[in-house]
Amino acid sequence: MAAVTIDSLLQNPTLVFRPKAKVLLKPPRSLDCSRNRKLPLSRGSCLCSFNPRRTIHVVRASSSETALIGNFDISSSDDILYKDIFPVKRIEKVEGKFFIRLDRSKDQHDWQLTVGCSLPGKWILHWGVSYLGDSGSEWDQPPKGMRPPGSIPIKDYAIETPLKKLSEGDIFHEVKIDFNPISEIAAIHFVLKDEETGAWYQHRGMDFKVPLVDYLEDDGNIVGAKRGFGVWSGALQQFSNVLLKSEASHADSQNNSIESKDSKNKNRCLEGFYEEQSIVKEVSVGNLVSVAVRKSPETGKVIVCLETDIPGDVVVHWGVCRDDAKIWEIPAAPYPPETTVFKNKALRTLLQPKATGNRSGALFTLDEEHFGFLFVLKLDDNTWLKFKENDFYVPLLGTSSVPGQYGQSDSTSEEISSKSYTDGIINEIRNLVSGLSSEKSQKTKKKEVQESILQEIEQLAAEAYSIFRSSITTVPDEVVSETETTKPAVKISSGTGTGFEILCQGFNWESHKSGRWYMELKEKASEISSLGFTVIWLPPPTESVSPEGYMPKDLYNLNSRYGTIDELKELVKSLHEVGMKVLGDVVLNHRCAHFKNQNGVWNIFGGRLNWDDRAVVADDPHFQGRGNKSSGDNFHAAPNIDHSQEFVRKDLKEWLGWLREEIGYDGWRLDFVRGFWGGYVKDYLEASGPYFAVGEYWDSLSYTYGEMDHNQDSHRQRIVDWINATNGTAGAFDVTTKGILHSALERCEYWRLSDQKGKPPGVVGWWPSRAVTFIENHDTGSTQGHWRFPGGKEMQGYAYILTHPGTPAVFYDHIFSHHRSEIASLISVRNRNGIHCRSLVKIVKAERDVYAAIIDEKVAMKIGPGYYEPPSGSQRWSLALEGRDYKVWETS
Amino acid sequence: MEVSVIRSCSQATILKTELGFKDSRFSFGKFNEKLFFRKPNSVSFQSPLRRGKSGLRITAQAAQSDPLPKSKSSTKSKTLNRVRLFAGLPLDVVSGGTVNQFRAISAGLKALKLLGLEGVELPIWWGVVEHESMGKYDWSGYLTIAEMVRKAGLKLHVTLCFHASSQPKIPLPEWVLDIGKTKSNIFFKDRAGKPYRGCLSLAVDELAVLNGKTPMQVYQDFCESFKSAFSAFIGSTIMGITMGLGPDGELRYPSHRGFAKSDTVPGAGEFQCYDKNMLHLLKQHAEACGKPKWGLGGPHDAPANSELPTANTFFKDHGGSWESPYGDFFLSWYSSQLIAHGDRLLSLASSVFSDSAVNIFGKVPLMHSWHGTRSHPSELTAGFYNTATRKGYEEVAEMFARNSCKIILPGMDQSDKYQLKESLSSPESLLAEIGTACNKHGVGISGQNSTVGAPDGLKQIKKNMLSENLNDSFIFQRIGAQFFAPEHFPLFIEFVRKLNQPELHSGNLPTKEGTTTATDSVHTRSNLSIHMQSA
Repeated sequence: MAAVTIDSLLQNPTLVFRPKAKVLLKPPRSLDCSRNRKLPLSRGSCLCSFNPRRTIHVVRASSSETALIGNFDISSSDDILYKDIFPVKRIEKVEGKFFIRLDRSKDQHDWQLTVGCSLPGKWILHWGVSYLGDSGSEWDQPPKGMRPPGSIPIKDYAIETPLKKLSEGDIFHEVKIDFNPISEIAAIHFVLKDEETGAWYQHRGMDFKVPLVDYLEDDGNIVGAKRGFGVWSGALQQFSNVLLKSEASHADSQNNSIESKDSKNKNRCLEGFYEEQSIVKEVSVGNLVSVAVRKSPETGKVIVCLETDIPGDVVVHWGVCRDDAKIWEIPAAPYPPETTVFKNKALRTLLQPKATGNRSGALFTLDEEHFGFLFVLKLDDNTWLKFKENDFYVPLLGTSSVPGQYGQSDSTSEEISSKSYTDGIINEIRNLVSGLSSEKSQKTKKKEVQESILQEIEQLAAEAYSIFRSSITTVPDEVVSETETTKPAVKISSGTGTGFEILCQGFNWESHKSGRWYMELKEKASEISSLGFTVIWLPPPTESVSPEGYMPKDLYNLNSRYGTIDELKELVKSLHEVGMKVLGDVVLNHRCAHFKNQNGVWNIFGGRLNWDDRAVVADDPHFQGRGNKSSGDNFHAAPNIDHSQEFVRKDLKEWLGWLREEIGYDGWRLDFVRGFWGGYVKDYLEASGPYFAVGEYWDSLSYTYGEMDHNQDSHRQRIVDWINATNGTAGAFDVTTKGILHSALERCEYWRLSDQKGKPPGVVGWWPSRAVTFIENHDTGSTQGHWRFPGGKEMQGYAYILTHPGTPAVFYDHIFSHHRSEIASLISVRNRNGIHCRSLVKIVKAERDVYAAIIDEKVAMKIGPGYYEPPSGSQRWSLALEGRDYKVWETS
Repeated sequence: MEVSVIRSCSQATILKTELGFKDSRFSFGKFNEKLFFRKPNSVSFQSPLRRGKSGLRITAQAAQSDPLPKSKSSTKSKTLNRVRLFAGLPLDVVSGGTVNQFRAISAGLKALKLLGLEGVELPIWWGVVEHESMGKYDWSGYLTIAEMVRKAGLKLHVTLCFHASSQPKIPLPEWVLDIGKTKSNIFFKDRAGKPYRGCLSLAVDELAVLNGKTPMQVYQDFCESFKSAFSAFIGSTIMGITMGLGPDGELRYPSHRGFAKSDTVPGAGEFQCYDKNMLHLLKQHAEACGKPKWGLGGPHDAPANSELPTANTFFKDHGGSWESPYGDFFLSWYSSQLIAHGDRLLSLASSVFSDSAVNIFGKVPLMHSWHGTRSHPSELTAGFYNTATRKGYEEVAEMFARNSCKIILPGMDQSDKYQLKESLSSPESLLAEIGTACNKHGVGISGQNSTVGAPDGLKQIKKNMLSENLNDSFIFQRIGAQFFAPEHFPLFIEFVRKLNQPELHSGNLPTKEGTTTATDSVHTRSNLSIHMQSA
């Protein structure tokens, strides 16, 4: 169901840009929003892997803390060696409602927009308006008369108005905005902000927009007209259905009255409506974990008594240690009931509910020689609770520690452990720097050292940045709820195609060499199609300064080193005949110039698109562009095109349309999209209406001292941000997944293939339908080999991407190699089982030497040398395919 | 897409080999950024680089042990190096006794150390430490930070904040606000009687309004407790302590309330002498001067908070009441109250820390709007009796000198040319004026950038660091996501490097066009404004 909503959003042809520069759109923390019609927690569950079955707990007031402490029935005998109560914080979700109502105010002349929210908090409406005839996407400040009392202007583009409870007994905090429908205001835009938590509440990453005019008033059929025209992207497009159903008669009568009264005002057709959404707020909840250690006088053993008031199932993941190094070990049996051994490193014990109160606990009996007791807690929503980012530690050896001192000693030890990670390297650098000072070092060497230190600084800064940023970034709008429909409607959108696409990259870095690639590929068309591919990506077709085609010059000259324009047309025709869609590789970021300007700088273009230097971005001094500054990164080898120029966009749209028409391309592979804003891509895609489009957003993953970070959220966030900017009209290559596969396979660290929430760690874990997974392309592999997939492990990579959600892409070199039959078998397993870009993946194992997952409950797979067999339960699994370090099963 | 790269020796990523990088993974994503070319339209294509494990090891040696090796002997660099550079930690680095974003802070500290910074500034909030009840202090989170800073080999400059912060929200202690609920006269009030809850009114300094204690006693207890809690750090890691003196920690009245908007002309500000105790002091003073009628309230013809100075007659350039005998009477009293307040707090701090090897600082605001008028309305309402005809900062500097304290001046990133013309603002000349007064009295000056950020801010800071306006240290505000962001941090690195080695211009850097270009382009972008967290 959600899939439908989303797609309708994506097909919306108008541009509703985020007010990019002016509104703070990096919300400090995003709140989860889902519409009432959907399962309220479906997306929430993906955000935080919060178990939906769980009931929402009421937030406890902190004042009850003392009472709780008193209640813990730690044995009161005086043989207690140690006793402490640890406060822990966890995130709980509180659910409430949020409504938007548009209706006439009491005096019947003005209209009123009411926004309310039932969750506790200091809610602020951050809002602005746009006027008729505004072409841009920016907000304006509403006229003074429209601002409710207590409003505060924010710079010159927005207003912040607090939501208030009208009376103490009210459930909703609300704010009412009165306005005159005859004004020039076209729409009211807003986002909701909770001052207490600093969280922003947006509509799928955009502002809420309440349109106040309707250009299609004459049409009569408002619902149909709106759907067709689709002016109102954002919340209200979908609202119209609901409101018409629920308030049809009411709204109609109002419409009639307003039309009769305001006959002059032909272009207005306001409808009252009321819309509710559920809103989920993350609240940090304090709980307590109490630990007492005493010695059993009879047995001489040490008994650790652990108790907590955390609701739900709590598993203690525990061990003991010998010394201050706090290295985990498993003690000798006996263990408490419900204990399992975890990876031979720790024990897991499920806490048993206590008879009194809502607490649970366990008793651990240990030999007295142990130095300390270590534990962390795992809650039933798969979150882990630690003590100040470290293990809980309870001293056992006769330490009668005072709780106060304890906290301090722990914070120090915590620091040591986290420091030790990086300290070694810093010391190494220091040694480098100071090591052989007596020797006269060469100047270049010194510079190298400087550079290496700078590099180090940049790394540290990047680490700090990613953490600081992660605390304020939004988790992307999850679309996994799409997967909930068991049979997704086959609905084509440019971001996904049908959802069942399998891509073939139809060239490599050497393909230009023969001069007749198009003809060579044509001969292979039916062969490629028969392997199961549905889409093929052809090399860049334009005249280019470099033979590979990525330095385009005259965009309308399609005679290239791959063949002539006629050969290209012929190839496309053959591919269509065998049922494949064809993607053109379009380079929109930069273009090589034909002529020099008066300063001798190459920035004047020729050919049919004879732009001058206004088409070149201004912030690359080498090309002396007179355009605006670049909206993205610059590619320094050629003039970067300024997409903010109207004439440039118009020309490019025309060109894309021409390619569709003239050549018959079905879609695009977009080169170097880091170079310009994703919003422009959306513009181009909407103008050219491709069947499928995918962008190359390639930047560096996060590494800390050469070790790739487990958490690549910031990396995939950047890709997701870009997809978001295109409004989901394009997919993107899942560079994150490739990077993580590299580390996992190369270093035998298969645990990397599950993120902290038990989802795939790449873009495919967050926005599967827009992730184009791949393991190699003409840049990373082929004869360039800039970032080659670990040798000999390619099939493990394909076993992963061809069984997982996302749209997999297979590289030409791999298809025409000894991997071919294995790849073909994987593709047929995928097709046979109907795995698609939104399939549901359940990771069942992510350990050092093996990763295993079950997809859509139809296909099971494992990669890595370790052991895995699918469970022999209700489903019967049969081995479909087996290769070096991978196996794939399907249900029989 | 790929274009082969002509490598310059700047590809420092390769140096990583030594440090455990096995292959090229690390650098792949940077290709496109580091491309450079000889001439347009003729990119050379060469065979792919083979970056194996061979040939790239460095056994580098350098002559100095400085974190970031400085070049030797440059007189210019010596002049610069006397100014020690600090960076402020996030305002909310500690809340509820725990360190926020521990890993980020820890990585950040290492980066700053390697960059060669002297240390970091740590804001310690009254409302965090003595949050719950009077005399109950929780230093634990801040102690953790101090230990982290010590281990990182950095120095610490502590700011004791007896005020509240609005963003992030850090209010005064709960128990103080509770008292304020019934006794709103412990806060400053404007003419409309609206209390300012960001700090206590200076008029209650010596009144026993806080559960039988005076605010001065409470501040003193706080400082004593701080001193004993941090005794292991004071003098070794903690080298400087800034005493909070008023709103935003600055020695001033909260004369400008509400949001500072960068694109609108600020008002004159409003005199804040309307809480009961201030009015009482004014009355006493007026009676002592034999002008009892002057003691009934503030100037009747002063504009309200957000109004322009021209909205009423008090600040009129010629013939305004400020030049009248009444004006002189009021302004003398108003500013002397502020200076007396500063004196009380700074002498308190000096005596508490007299046996410790630390410098005490106090912050003086840079009220630079309307500095171009004769009456300097913003300065007058903030409590500085400084006009075209009276050098008001002399007595401020003298008060600092008396207590052997150094002065912190914010706004070092502000330059005249980016001010709104209509506001007749001149941060540069005001800074010079205060600088002159300080130099005359031998008061050391430490600089800060403004809370709102400024175009070309780093350039202006560097200019100030070279001038007489700054001779002790500079505290850059402030660490956070923005600070480490790719659009800012490289600029900051460049800034620090240029401070340390001004003669080593980018042309000398091993990186050629590639980096230079990149830097330039970021520079231009930064003009849009660096938005720093507010202090």
